[in-house]
Amino acid sequence: MGQKLPDIHKDALAPIDMVRYSGASGDFNEIHTVPKVARKKGLKEPIVHGMLLMGWAAEAIEEWLPNRKLAKFTVRFVGMAHAGEAFVIEGMLTTDNAGELQIKDASGTGKLMGSFELV
Amino acid sequence: MEQEFHYAPFRVEAGKVREFARAIGLKNPVYFDRQAALDAGYRDIPAPPTYTTVIDFWNERDFYQLFSQWGLDPNDILHGEQSFEYGEDIISGDVITAKAVMIGRFDKKDKRFYQLETTYRNQDAEVVRIGRATLIERREQHGAEIAGHS
Repeated sequence: MGQKLPDIHKDALAPIDMVRYSGASGDFNEIHTVPKVARKKGLKEPIVHGMLLMGWAAEAIEEWLPNRKLAKFTVRFVGMAHAGEAFVIEGMLTTDNAGELQIKDASGTGKLMGSFELV
Repeated sequence: MEQEFHYAPFRVEAGKVREFARAIGLKNPVYFDRQAALDAGYRDIPAPPTYTTVIDFWNERDFYQLFSQWGLDPNDILHGEQSFEYGEDIISGDVITAKAVMIGRFDKKDKRFYQLETTYRNQDAEVVRIGRATLIERREQHGAEIAGHS
C-alpha cells in the first residue's frame, strides 16, 4: 500500500478559462471553445483541453512534492470534462520516487488517470 | 507509415511561460519570478512540465501543419494519452527544436489511433523532453480519405 496524498479540490472552470488556455497554449481547436463546433462534432458542449487537465495534475505533483523533479509523467484522458464541473485530484505515492493520481468530478467519474516518477 | 514532421526552432520566453503558467493555475513562483528561479537553482525561468504544447502550437511550423500534412482534421481528433520523459530542464532563452514521428497507427471499432513521438532538443542538442501522444480519430468522418494516404 502506498502513502495517500491530500486531495486537491479544483473550482469549476468557466468557459473563459478554456479560452484563456487556448490562447496561452496555442491549441485553438474549436471543440474546446465554440459550442456550435462541439455540437457539430457530436459533443453536447465544449470539452476541456486534456492538456489543461494534465497541467493541473503537474501542479498537484508540485504541490504535494515541492522541490522534487519529474523524470516521467504519463496520463490517460479517461473522460471528457466540461465547464461548470468541480473536480478533485487524488494522489498516492507508491514508492519514494513514484506515484499515481486521478482527476474526478463530483460524482466520482474519472477524467484523467496518471502515473509519475521523480528524479 | 514512416512519417516525420520537423517543427521550426522555438525560443522559450519568460513572458509566455508566465502566461501559460497562469492559464493552468500553477503556483510555483519559479515560473513567475526570475529571482525565485535563480534561488531554486535554475539559470532563468524554467518551463512547466507540460510546456511543450506551446512549442507545438505557437510554432512557425505548428501542430496544425502536422495535422494537415498527415491528412487529419484537428476538430475530429481527441487526445487519448500523453506521456513525457524529462531530460535537461527547458529554460527561458533556450531555443528548442523538435521532431515528431508517427510510431504507430491502428484501428479499433470505429476509431483510428495514432501514436506520435516527439523529441525536443535544446540549442546544445541535449534532449529536454520526449513526448508520446495517442490521438484518437473518429473514422466515419475521414476513414476513406485517410485510407487514401496509407
